Amino acid sequence: MKITLTVNGERHRVDVEPRRTLSDALREDLGLTGTHVGCEHGVCGACTVIVDGLPARACLMLAVQADGGSVDTVEGLADDDGTLHPLQEAFSRCHGLQCGACTPGMLMTAAHLLDTEPDPDRATIRAEMSGNICRCTGYLGIVDAVADAAAHRRARPEEAS
Amino acid sequence: MKCPPFSYHRATSVDDAVAALAAAGGEGKILAGGQSLVPVLALRLARPDVIVDVDRVPGLDGLELRDGVLHAGALVRHLALAGQALHPLAAEAARWIGHTAIRSRGTLAGSLAHADPAAELPAVLRACDGAVHVAGPSGTRRIGADDLFVGALQSALEDTEMITGVELPVPDAWGFAEFARRHGDFAVVSVAAARFGDRLRVVVGGVAGVPHLVDAGDLATVDGEISEDRVAILAAAAADDVDPADDLHGSARYRRALTEQMTARALEQLTTTVREPA
Amino acid sequence: MTPTDEHAPASGTPVRRKEDARLLTGRGRFVSDLALPRMRHVAFVRSPVAHGRITGVDTAGALEVEGVSAVFTGEHPAIAPVALRAQSGLPGYVETDQPPLARGKVRFAGEAVAAVVADDRYLAEDGAEAVVVDYEPLTPTVCAWAEPEHPVHEEAPDNVLLSRTFRAGDVDAALDGAAVVVDRELTTNRHGGNPIECRAGVARYEAADRKLTFWSGTQVPWIVRTQLAELLDLPEGNIRVIAPDVGGGFGVKAVLYPEDVALCLMAMAMPGTPLKWVEDRVEHLLAATHARDHRYVLRAGFAADGELLAVKADVWCNTGAYSVYPWTAGIEPLMAGGLLTGPYKLTDYECTVRGVATNTSPSGPYRGVARPSTVFAMEALMDSGARALGLDPIALRRRNLILPADIPYKMPSRLVDDSGAYEACLDKAVATFDLDRWRAEQSRRRTEGGRPIGIGVGVYNELTGLGRAASAGPRMAFRTGHDACTVRINPDGAVTVFSGVTSQGQGLETTMAQVVADALGVDYGDVEVRYGDTDESLWGFGAFSSRQAVISGGAAHLAGEHVRGRALALAAALKEAPVEDLDLRGGEVYMAGQEKPIISLAEVARVAYLQSDRLPEGFEPGLEGTKFYDPIRGAFAAGAQIAALEFDPATGEIGILDWVCVEDAGRIVHPVIVDGQIAGSIAQGIGGAMYEHLVYDEDGNLSTGTLLDYLMPTAGEIPELRIGHVSTPGKNPTGVRGVGEGGTLAPNAVVAGALADALGVEVDDLPVTPARVWELVNP
Repeated sequence: MKITLTVNGERHRVDVEPRRTLSDALREDLGLTGTHVGCEHGVCGACTVIVDGLPARACLMLAVQADGGSVDTVEGLADDDGTLHPLQEAFSRCHGLQCGACTPGMLMTAAHLLDTEPDPDRATIRAEMSGNICRCTGYLGIVDAVADAAAHRRARPEEAS
Repeated sequence: MKCPPFSYHRATSVDDAVAALAAAGGEGKILAGGQSLVPVLALRLARPDVIVDVDRVPGLDGLELRDGVLHAGALVRHLALAGQALHPLAAEAARWIGHTAIRSRGTLAGSLAHADPAAELPAVLRACDGAVHVAGPSGTRRIGADDLFVGALQSALEDTEMITGVELPVPDAWGFAEFARRHGDFAVVSVAAARFGDRLRVVVGGVAGVPHLVDAGDLATVDGEISEDRVAILAAAAADDVDPADDLHGSARYRRALTEQMTARALEQLTTTVREPA
Repeated sequence: MTPTDEHAPASGTPVRRKEDARLLTGRGRFVSDLALPRMRHVAFVRSPVAHGRITGVDTAGALEVEGVSAVFTGEHPAIAPVALRAQSGLPGYVETDQPPLARGKVRFAGEAVAAVVADDRYLAEDGAEAVVVDYEPLTPTVCAWAEPEHPVHEEAPDNVLLSRTFRAGDVDAALDGAAVVVDRELTTNRHGGNPIECRAGVARYEAADRKLTFWSGTQVPWIVRTQLAELLDLPEGNIRVIAPDVGGGFGVKAVLYPEDVALCLMAMAMPGTPLKWVEDRVEHLLAATHARDHRYVLRAGFAADGELLAVKADVWCNTGAYSVYPWTAGIEPLMAGGLLTGPYKLTDYECTVRGVATNTSPSGPYRGVARPSTVFAMEALMDSGARALGLDPIALRRRNLILPADIPYKMPSRLVDDSGAYEACLDKAVATFDLDRWRAEQSRRRTEGGRPIGIGVGVYNELTGLGRAASAGPRMAFRTGHDACTVRINPDGAVTVFSGVTSQGQGLETTMAQVVADALGVDYGDVEVRYGDTDESLWGFGAFSSRQAVISGGAAHLAGEHVRGRALALAAALKEAPVEDLDLRGGEVYMAGQEKPIISLAEVARVAYLQSDRLPEGFEPGLEGTKFYDPIRGAFAAGAQIAALEFDPATGEIGILDWVCVEDAGRIVHPVIVDGQIAGSIAQGIGGAMYEHLVYDEDGNLSTGTLLDYLMPTAGEIPELRIGHVSTPGKNPTGVRGVGEGGTLAPNAVVAGALADALGVEVDDLPVTPARVWELVNP
């Protein structure tokens, strides 16, 4: 089935089997392997992307369901010139990542959180990030990073995009 | 963990969806938000011939209050249900479902049709004595909450039917309590309590194949205030009335104890959530 | 920035991780991401029965499925001659074969029976569904301390693959002389690593030159190469193993799996066609190695003043269906017996450990190997002893800790402890935690109401960086101990390091760059580290036993120093200066007493490579050096954790109110990475203590086969951990002590101890779940 996906602002026309998940279409058909797949049954959150403005598990969505829609993935967070998104900066500064497998899902979940709640306290961050499993960090660096990015964004709103 | 092959029909209307289901001759499956169905497919626990995708059928995402009943379209997302103020019990329960990335896609009718006995919305539907509107090859019908849930993951829907809308009467007072192992998990035990006039409905999730409506006999008749003693008596009655089984996450005894605790919590909340007169 | 700042050492500072830029932007290089021309995908057919004879495999249907190009079974001529056989010279060890794909018999539910090759993974799974396997069921054994009806392996009729008794002093006499004797019988819960990236491999074989390339998410690429060479009958130089970015390991990926070997054998049978297998989560839960399914029957004797006089232990470790390759069934039992007594002084000790085969997924290395269980066991004895003697549990621990004055301390298992920092860790943890405040809150709640609070404590030693002497226990066909590092100064003066490390998130690319930058005298930013590729670096045993910072770090330091010496010698000759007066800092060579550099490293390097006319006589061109390092013994790391937990007796709900950990990581290279290792390992420890449990039913079916039932803690469950340090440098070139595993060791003991402290109930079986708490309070 031929579908159109606008991924990180770029239009792609792909031919997929109906059963193909959005995560597989992104990774296998578009070569966007930044979106990781950790469980394929919607629990671990590694594949979280933003579909039409809202976070979604890319493993629980058929690619054909995203036809005509827009998808934002981790590859679209940094600027074209390589300048990192404030969240990416904060994750690095606060050691919010180790192996990097959960990181794309964490970043996309956090990006949506900060878009909807610019000043979350640590309990809110923990609750909102609890749909994403990390096996490496013990979450300390992740919670620090989201809090840090939020503070950074409040201090310099012009950089928020 | 890849879905088995199926053919795919993107429905443009309810009639179109029903026709596609009929054409599939019982081997079709409705897909909406996909949060329950896609894992089942990925595990190859179901092998439908045809997936009928109703995710984009227009007109099924409405929320409207009429005569004390919230009329919700089948495709109302959990996120929307959690964010509305018309039916506070449904809003509270929806906030307990999974995580934002689940609530953004999952739908009200999808959760009801999936009929997971530990899920939040089936318990709410039953506590509110709500109903679903169903379309099928022979027309439409209404199925009351008490008849909708048949067994674990089994509803009264025929293979050729789909839910189009949901009626959720708004209670005069309500409470919801849940005990889950982690943030966002399915409940070990959940309780939805709703008072309509002097009638109290307490529904326990996670203790049987279907959300269990507590038979509290005369205790279910209340006049306004519910005293602390009455909460305790009702909670004990609820614990007596359920008949859970042992499983991985706890023994029957434990679930019974949780039923008592969660019922008490839900009823305590209920005493504080009396609806303002309209 | 002042010049002094520019030349500040990289070690000890939280420099930006070199890994981060690619991992944060979705440009990591994981095996799961790899796509090669002509690549095909593999799905395994897995046994639905725990124990049974294979009476028939029909692959015809699978070959009919669109896109399927081949189906392999255990009897396929490419597969049939090969078996994985974990070897050990330990007396009484029973060697058994593990076929790449089951042959004749299946021994656990989830064992790979056949493999289907197809154009993509969807089609491969369609094909796998169409393979028909007939089984004649045999009675499975699930529990390691039950009598088998049908042994798992003919060679071991009682299922015991290995048994060993550790003995020191006269334990019975010591028990006779004890003022109190306490008995505990404990079981710990089977759980596993579950890295977010599951196992993954791509194998490509070129027949023309008989070369095999195996991209693998492994922690041990060099061991994998050696073992593959042996199993595949290829010269070792014809095999290249590449472990690029790996999405978590935790020990689970320190194993050469039958699926890995099958993938390579199939690739050899299909030359020119790269074959890819990415394990899915259900496969991981079913068939990647499990751990910690143990039973401890314990007796300890204490003197009236609290002195620990004797420990007698009987230990059963569930080995699962196969002796894990290449570590053997000894991995958990030997660690359990060797380190049970932990940080406590003891002379009279007897401990019999067994590795028992069952019809469950094989047990293998998992972060902390056995010690989360043994620390639980030992601390349970301490808590029971304190209760029996009416002593404060922390005071009792202090009474028995190995102290700095005792170092080197020979443990009853004859391992030599070089730490002695246990009391320092415990003291600092207690102070940070503010024990008095929590005790006051505990009694306030007891009198005024509120959920009961319990305080739990765990003190532990972590044997890290095992050198050749500390690796003697398992008597495997190989003995670990050393790693290598090559430091190369490029013609432009920048540095490329070829390290024997592998990294699954530990940040070793960064740590090795820091160590080399400082040893050599260049800026951190000028050092690039290559690792995980057996064709690039010389040698590394890999990531296990918290060894790489100590051992590979030592090699990196030595290699850096060595090349620094060569560079300075060349600079001295070029500038006609006495070499002993020269110093290399920030990539510039300075002469003692002069503020400005006399020559840059870049110029020295240019001479070494490009200007043979300037090369002084007797100097070999190039600037490169390789060094091995072996610490011979190991570096014991000390740690203590203390936490306050509240329990709701009505629901069993557990709340973690505060959690403090203090560890001795020796000298710290990257403070934030070290804290990240500690926090992450505590989180996994809490997972094991409270959430994670792989449960088999009596038929040997895994009841927790998805992440809906196998619960890993999230940001909602892990508390705000407070981490502190004491630092006693280890005796190795960088002074570090390993830090990857310690955090996992205490949570079992802490949570169980807190429950006992809060509600007066002893928990003998883990995990401590709300249901278990409630059952204990409401028997």
